Amino acid sequence: MGEFLTLEKTGDTLKVSLRNNWQFANVAAFQSELDAIDPSGCKEIDFVCGGLKEFDLSGAWSLYDKSLDLEEQGYKSDFLGFKESHLKFVRHIIDVAAVNEYDPDFFKPVPRHLVRKQLEKIGAAAMRGFDSLGYITESIMDGCRNPSRLMVGETLRQIHETGFRAIPIVVVVTFLMGVVLAYQGASQLVDFGATIFVVDLVSTSIFRELGVLLAAIMVAGRSGSAFAAAIGTMKLNEEIDALRVMGLNPNQILILPRILGLTIAMPFLTVFANISGLAGGAFICIMTLDMSVVQFYQRVAGSVAMMDFWVGLIKAPFFAILIAATGTLRGMQVTGSAEELGRLTTLAVVQSIFLIIIADAFFTVLFNRMGV
Amino acid sequence: MAPQANTVTSQPAASEQQYDHIIQIRDLVNTFGKQLVHDKLCLDVRRDEILGVVGGSGTGKSVLLRSILGLHRTNDGTITVLGHTIRYLQPGPFRQWGVLFQGGALLSGLTVQENVELPIALHSNMSRENRRELACLKIFMTGLTLEAGAKYPNELSGGMRKRASLARALALDPKILFLDEPTAGLDPIAATEFDNLITYLQQNLDLTVVMVTHDVDSLFNICDRIAVLIDGGIVVDTPQRIVHHPHPWVQSYFGDPRAARAREAAT
Repeated sequence: MGEFLTLEKTGDTLKVSLRNNWQFANVAAFQSELDAIDPSGCKEIDFVCGGLKEFDLSGAWSLYDKSLDLEEQGYKSDFLGFKESHLKFVRHIIDVAAVNEYDPDFFKPVPRHLVRKQLEKIGAAAMRGFDSLGYITESIMDGCRNPSRLMVGETLRQIHETGFRAIPIVVVVTFLMGVVLAYQGASQLVDFGATIFVVDLVSTSIFRELGVLLAAIMVAGRSGSAFAAAIGTMKLNEEIDALRVMGLNPNQILILPRILGLTIAMPFLTVFANISGLAGGAFICIMTLDMSVVQFYQRVAGSVAMMDFWVGLIKAPFFAILIAATGTLRGMQVTGSAEELGRLTTLAVVQSIFLIIIADAFFTVLFNRMGV
Repeated sequence: MAPQANTVTSQPAASEQQYDHIIQIRDLVNTFGKQLVHDKLCLDVRRDEILGVVGGSGTGKSVLLRSILGLHRTNDGTITVLGHTIRYLQPGPFRQWGVLFQGGALLSGLTVQENVELPIALHSNMSRENRRELACLKIFMTGLTLEAGAKYPNELSGGMRKRASLARALALDPKILFLDEPTAGLDPIAATEFDNLITYLQQNLDLTVVMVTHDVDSLFNICDRIAVLIDGGIVVDTPQRIVHHPHPWVQSYFGDPRAARAREAAT
């Protein structure tokens, strides 16, 4: 005798009396009691209302399901003594079941062909890659076709948003990177009595590689995600569609200004990054390596050619295009759900940083071969 | 008791006491800045009735609904639902109420089936198989199919999305169903079907339904009583009698040709 059921066997009839509240709150409890009923040795199982207090759809459904199971196993089953207000729920379930049949097979996972699935995935990813490349090229071309005055203001806004407001964080990060480089360099070079070469190390690596790379990574984190999230949300709210039907080209007023703005802002950010990275190196050299400002300046002037500066700076617009294109493209790909928005925003940041590093490797090899 | 011209009594009539009240609102005050939206509003919702809530824009229909659900910080007054005193952002009698939000508010990252299973999984420790079957029952109840249940909300039409979120609202076998503009955005045929579905479920499952609506057809076809929000207070009466209330807004609302046609069609 459980909390919800009382079993009573007379002849070949099993009488199951219901007790207490058969409501959703207790659903797991009375279901397990129902499952525990052992009908062996009986022909008929009767469910009796007994001390049933509250009843709801979950209770009715559990009971009905059990009686169907029993009938499938060859037992007779009946409901006795239920009030009309209780039977109503059972009747409702029967009505619903008459229209729609529950089919457990529907939820069985489809058998998977692993190799084929993987190949299909790779193929689909490659197709998507080409598709994206085509889409973004088309957007840029389309945006350039009929330039409007609207674009100028939006581009300026993007320069302010992605460039000007990124200055503080970029300056701080590269300054610290300069400090780190100088410290690490000094601890190695001091053994050779060649501490003056710390200046060469810091200035060359900051100008050629680290300044622009750090700035680009910071911008990818700041603006790549912002582009994807902003455009993605507009996509979800049908704002992009609204722009289209008003005759405004979203490529022109959303995508192109972002790419253009970032491409303009990025070289300036790189200059800031270079200066502050150098300042970080100078700070350590002057404070801990007993160099004078003049000495540091002369060493920098002697070791760094103007070419080093340009080698770093030329990468900036390329990185900017990669970040802005990835961010806006992922934003435009958002459809349907909020989760999709989150996934694509993450993807925008990860992919743009990945692409930046690949492009940087490419540039390094290229410049090395060219001998600059 | 004949209501007096142009006045809105906020106190419930003495004759209300014979009914079993599932929701009780006493002296509810809500303000937005200087604007007084609800001024000592009192409302009783009877067990097993369908109550339609109407009012002009800005009269606080949604605010009233959100106050009852504990989603709005009220300025004053008490709200009791099934003996539960509602407090701002505190869990209410969530097992006993279901809400159909205006846009459906289905979780967009889950399929309809998963949306319905979610509350069941959170509030019971049923086996996965049983949970799935119970969720299917709720989905079938609202007239959807297994195939529709496997879809994501953004793949559904407006009418199907309403049905899917109704299925989720019914997931925990609630006693009260709150509907926010259930037929908004549906074509007349779909709206009538949805109205019929609500009445059918209300009668079969002993539900109490509170619905904010502007659909005059629903008001006259399925509502037992209509509550009109006017001047910070509320007037509640049967559809037959409320149209005779002398307040100008009530007169212009129900005197509108569309409302008149709906009233004639319903009688």
